[in-house]
Amino acid sequence: MTDANALNQASCPRVVVLSLASDFGCQIQITNFPELLAMVGTIDLSYWQLATSADMPDSYDVAVIEGAVTLDEHVRLLQQVRKTAGVVIAIGACAVTGGVPGLVGTGDLDTARDLVYGEDATIVKQHRLVPAPVSSVIEVDYRVPGCPIDPAEFSALLQQALLGARERLDRTPLCAACQTIENPCFWLRGKACLGLVTRTGCGALCLSRDRACTGCRGIAADANLESARRYLREGGFDVKAFDKALEVYNTYEVNEVARS
Amino acid sequence: MFFKIIDKESIVDLYAGLAAEYDEVTGPKTSPKDPRYVKFGKIRDASQLRLDYKTSIVPPKKYFLAADERLMRYDRTTGEVYDTEPPLQTRALIGVHPCDINAILMLDDIFLNEFEDPYYKVYRENTFIVGVSCMPSPTCTCNSFGADEVHRGFDLFLSDLGDRWFVSVRSVKAAAIVDRYLDAREVTADDTRAFQERTKRFKKALPKRMDLDQLPLLYDAKYDYPLWEDIGKDCLSCGACSVVCPCCYCFDVRDTLSADGRVGKRHRVWDSCLASEFAEVAHNHNFRPKAADRVRYRFYHKFVGNFTRNGKMLCVGCGRCTTACKAFIDPQRIVKALESEDTPASAGTRKGGGAQ
Amino acid sequence: MTENTPAIATADTYKRLGANPYRPWPARITSIQQLTPKEKLFELRIIDASVRDAFRHTAGQFVELSIFGVGEAPISISSAPSKQGFIELCIREAGTVTSAMHRMRAGDIVGLRGPFGRGFPFDEMRGHDILLVAGGLGIAPLKSLINHIHDERHEFGKVTILLGARSPKEILFRQEFDMWRHREDFDLQMTVDIPDDDWDGEVGLVTKLFDALEVDPENTYGAICGPPVMYRFVVAEMRKKDLDVDRIYVSFERRMKCGIGKCCHCGVGHKYACIDGPVFSYWEAMNLKEAM
Repeated sequence: MTDANALNQASCPRVVVLSLASDFGCQIQITNFPELLAMVGTIDLSYWQLATSADMPDSYDVAVIEGAVTLDEHVRLLQQVRKTAGVVIAIGACAVTGGVPGLVGTGDLDTARDLVYGEDATIVKQHRLVPAPVSSVIEVDYRVPGCPIDPAEFSALLQQALLGARERLDRTPLCAACQTIENPCFWLRGKACLGLVTRTGCGALCLSRDRACTGCRGIAADANLESARRYLREGGFDVKAFDKALEVYNTYEVNEVARS
Repeated sequence: MFFKIIDKESIVDLYAGLAAEYDEVTGPKTSPKDPRYVKFGKIRDASQLRLDYKTSIVPPKKYFLAADERLMRYDRTTGEVYDTEPPLQTRALIGVHPCDINAILMLDDIFLNEFEDPYYKVYRENTFIVGVSCMPSPTCTCNSFGADEVHRGFDLFLSDLGDRWFVSVRSVKAAAIVDRYLDAREVTADDTRAFQERTKRFKKALPKRMDLDQLPLLYDAKYDYPLWEDIGKDCLSCGACSVVCPCCYCFDVRDTLSADGRVGKRHRVWDSCLASEFAEVAHNHNFRPKAADRVRYRFYHKFVGNFTRNGKMLCVGCGRCTTACKAFIDPQRIVKALESEDTPASAGTRKGGGAQ
Repeated sequence: MTENTPAIATADTYKRLGANPYRPWPARITSIQQLTPKEKLFELRIIDASVRDAFRHTAGQFVELSIFGVGEAPISISSAPSKQGFIELCIREAGTVTSAMHRMRAGDIVGLRGPFGRGFPFDEMRGHDILLVAGGLGIAPLKSLINHIHDERHEFGKVTILLGARSPKEILFRQEFDMWRHREDFDLQMTVDIPDDDWDGEVGLVTKLFDALEVDPENTYGAICGPPVMYRFVVAEMRKKDLDVDRIYVSFERRMKCGIGKCCHCGVGHKYACIDGPVFSYWEAMNLKEAM
């Protein structure tokens, strides 16, 4: 739950940036964004896991979280964060959808552990969880999807959060944005593309560089997977390959849908 | 309106003339990503023009209602609003098909009515339109919507007579261009005969006309029929149809701030009534929660809503949505579904029309 | 059936000023009153004096409220047309813009566009009995009408106001209305779904208040605003009292974005709430798809 008043009183909100299971790519992405320096005057970057060696402060207003939940220690940390921060922002595919770490969920966790850690698997066994997005553990106020995130989207969202505006995450698939910039459709040219069901908001970046969408922003809330698969079947495309490609960033959600 | 004849090659002179008179010349050109596709873009040399194109990915509506238009800037601290005018740039738009010109006329009804849209108006007034004749593609249904012919809404119109153009000169501006830049000759009886022949060939190539006389009434009568559920199950809610539709014009408004949060911009961007958010109000109440509700609304607006308001159906049969929709939902399918004898459960099934 | 054309309609102010209808005018928040845990009443004053003077509204019209940097949201005007120079907006913290609005303080600057839409047919209603029914936040546009009737009370017959809310804490303008309950010139009744210990009013849906109501159907205009589910039931009660379909007026909440019939977000059947409404006669509404 957003504690608007806590933010209201803080003239210069204290922001912490922390990582769960990820490759820190989204944090690095933020450092690549010169405009963010202009924001530094309006926020107090109390703690930045990537850039500071100091301990995380006891109190802060905004928590920016990168990475998927993969350890029970992450769960405890997130619960603490939720109690402390007025605003929680999840950034990047790992934190928003479970992302690439979520792929572990396509199989059995024990097998995956044995495969990765071999004889040392017993050491990690007790603490490992099936990778999951932050929102599966605590309530998340704002999400910046993508792998990696677009730092401009992140800074714009941080501004909205500081103004107290509610999250307005895109819900529709990518096709409209892709057609708007007049990319010849991949499907019509006989090539598979996940844009058909993937959340819009990236401006069809990959497609404009003639690469098909890989689904890094997650499955769109409005997406119609059944109809998409029907289209594939009727067009002679490989439905299994489509589902497999979808798993790269969306295993957690695909499993959730299967469970429900 | 008067008529002239110019050589096929004179298109170079027409381009040169327009390039001299207007800040920008745009027209159909090959997509750099795939030569099978055409899009409207800036023309730097007459040889780039593809006047024999079938269709463009996005219609020329983008020059009147931009996909992303900055409406204004503001200072967040003082509330001062500035830069509320669109850029005053003149543009010549070459190669617009009759269907797309008819679509622009429909947009005029909406954006230049008693509540005038100042942005649209500026673009419209500063654009010189050159229409061009075409031959029907398999996806075309313009004749069903009376959009296969156009008598206004352009400055100049070029009809292809093989080795020459039959030129319709409609505006004073167009007459000046012809006078100044083109080596045009008078129309002979032969030319007129050739023009008639061309028109005949065009008409013959058109598909069978759909009878739409009953459509608005039928739509109202069958509004609660199960056919909509059937079509709704297919809709991908992607909104690609709205983007490529020359008659779709709905938009969303978005604000962005500078990094330091002091100044901001307000934009309007293309939207689609197929998005679940479109008709949602505060506290998450949604007047069209299901995809079926939204597809039904989209076509209702086209076939009944605008027909009731402005006397026209918001479709010119350009066929772009037929190509863009991966769920095979297009006007033909809707019309067929509404006209089908009702065993309501089977009405509106897939490939009712439009599937290629 | 005649479609009513009010003296002041959408974008009239803009036409008068020759201004761009998408341009918001800076306005200062002059006071904020917390009405309920989720709703605040904001009083605003347009900064530019010439615009302020040109801004005239009828009860039932709305404005587009800008929070610069966040966006716009349509909000019905709660103040009476007679309250010149100030505009009152009753806002629930619910969406992107309204949650940002709730963070604003007195003295802060927002933007206003409007007034837009077709309000209640006040001139037509003059000389008649009035029956107003509001549920929850639906009182926001009706408050303007109530205030206007109050200003010209002698012009009207019997005025009945029925208010429904979820709980006593959620009744908007409660202090003011509590006093009205003892007035002779207004018959004001309230009901809540969930009473608290101090509640001495009715309990149940607002339709319950119709049972004991005496209505002169030949001479009464009805006005309804509330959550989407409410309309059908309240209209049914009014119809039971024999009110004509074209003397019942409903005010709709839709997602008006542009205010001038362009963006399509507020489409109801073949009409737009922003220019044809948000106030419709029940006759019009019953002929619109997805209206009720």
